[in-house]
Amino acid sequence: MKTESRKPLVIDCHAYAGSGKTWADPARDVNYEAAEIFERGTAAGIDRHCVMPPRNDTYREANRQIASLCEQHAGRLIGFAAHSPRREAGSLRRMLVEEVRSMGLRAVRSDGPPNRELLDAVVELGIPVIYYPSGNWQQLGRYIHMPATAYPKVNFIIPHLGQYHSLSWAAHPEAIDLARRYGNVYLDMSGVGSFKYAEMAVRELPPDKILFGTCAPELDPRVDGEALRLLKLPPAAFAKVASQNLLRLLGKPPRV
Amino acid sequence: MTDTIRVAAGPIGPKSMPESFSRRDFLASAGAVVAVTASRAADPGRVPVIDCHTHAGTGTDLTAPWTTIADPQEIIRRHKEAGIDQACIFPITHDTFEEANREIAEIVRRYPGHFIGYAKHDPVTEKGRIRAMLLRECREMGLRGLKLHVKPTPEVLDTVAELGIPIIWHPGRVAMFDDVAKAYPTVDLIMAHLGSDLSNDWREHLAAIDLARRYPNVYLDTGACVFTRYLEQAIKELGPGKIVYGSDEPEVDCRLEIFKVRILKLPKEQEEMILGGNIQRLLGKYKGGAA
Repeated sequence: MKTESRKPLVIDCHAYAGSGKTWADPARDVNYEAAEIFERGTAAGIDRHCVMPPRNDTYREANRQIASLCEQHAGRLIGFAAHSPRREAGSLRRMLVEEVRSMGLRAVRSDGPPNRELLDAVVELGIPVIYYPSGNWQQLGRYIHMPATAYPKVNFIIPHLGQYHSLSWAAHPEAIDLARRYGNVYLDMSGVGSFKYAEMAVRELPPDKILFGTCAPELDPRVDGEALRLLKLPPAAFAKVASQNLLRLLGKPPRV
Repeated sequence: MTDTIRVAAGPIGPKSMPESFSRRDFLASAGAVVAVTASRAADPGRVPVIDCHTHAGTGTDLTAPWTTIADPQEIIRRHKEAGIDQACIFPITHDTFEEANREIAEIVRRYPGHFIGYAKHDPVTEKGRIRAMLLRECREMGLRGLKLHVKPTPEVLDTVAELGIPIIWHPGRVAMFDDVAKAYPTVDLIMAHLGSDLSNDWREHLAAIDLARRYPNVYLDTGACVFTRYLEQAIKELGPGKIVYGSDEPEVDCRLEIFKVRILKLPKEQEEMILGGNIQRLLGKYKGGAA
């Protein structure tokens, strides 16, 4: 009997939707439409995208936008919240509980170093934290070591293998070391400028620690789709990087 | 008597580099462009795919990847996957480049037909010596272009104009090109990274497009442009004749950089211009002769 091989599910763990300023440049206004993501994401063979808001001062409205888009495109989009621990201090738990339990968002991006208020809520909700300490490689260690140690039950996803566009190359080996050291630190491979560090990550880390992402629609998801292909992972490892790791970190969807 | 030219020994390649080789060898490597053109004889309609921006050789500082090593064998392995026929290669970062340029000539010789050697120079640290070095590097060692990071001085530009070789320049700011392009209209200037390495400043991509529109002798290389929308914009606004495919290997992977051009699904002749035809045309202007 002929058995058909099924294409592994590919989920982009790092995409954007809604309005705000681009994370790449605080001076540039953006309003990312879901259609922009789907057009090129489909061409890249991506089945679903995790979307989070672009940069905002506060995120209550932006997160509602995300939830609304996910409702419109159920099955294609997975919504992540974003919050600024500093600018939204005092109301983080209340907002996040509502966004996760009532609105169905599945993770939170921390706009700035995560604080105890945010991380305590994250523990309660059992969701992962996406946090990118921009700057050079020393920033990465400075802002990841302590949260990862103090909150061993929280899973941290560091975007861009530690450095957007590979502008500071030494951040990539530093991020790989952090992911090796801490069981609760994961790396997403979106928006990496120097592909050899993605190759280094899959060579040096177990495939359970790396997540596929694209930065769509800010960046063309077809490029990171090609990067995933060029990693030449064995099927089991490919399936983990392409979606299984993310789904494991997200856990069961909350009852909305 | 056989003239020999000493070269720096380095760890690159399957076997250690010979300490010297003959002028005849150098001149044989100088014909690399012609040789590859001839190798297209089996497929005369095909324009070769040429990566205009690749580093090779050994560095001395060991403080960053680009001061340590760029292994041509690894690059060739990726070229095969990407369907790249040739690459213009120049040294990684050094204070002065005489030895590094010799190493480039040796790498060109070691991989016949695959690499087109460029010199690299620092117009400040090598001031006063560049004309003599560059003439020798082109005429005797077969190099066919110049890579710069520092703004070229009249000493550099006059020599380049005399030789008819292109300059590929990664400027601190796009605006630095302006007076150079205006003062030396016969010198072909390729602006690296579409004006901004790794799209560090997207405004520089727009400035680069404007500058290339203003000056017929300015071209843009596609390498390490992360915001690919500006690559699309450059081709749309300038036409394919002003865009030159490059990668910045080995720091940036040629397979992904060429993918960024191919996914645009340009008409065949336009894609061919960008992936090889344009740089081939610029390299064909060489008038320096051989020793």
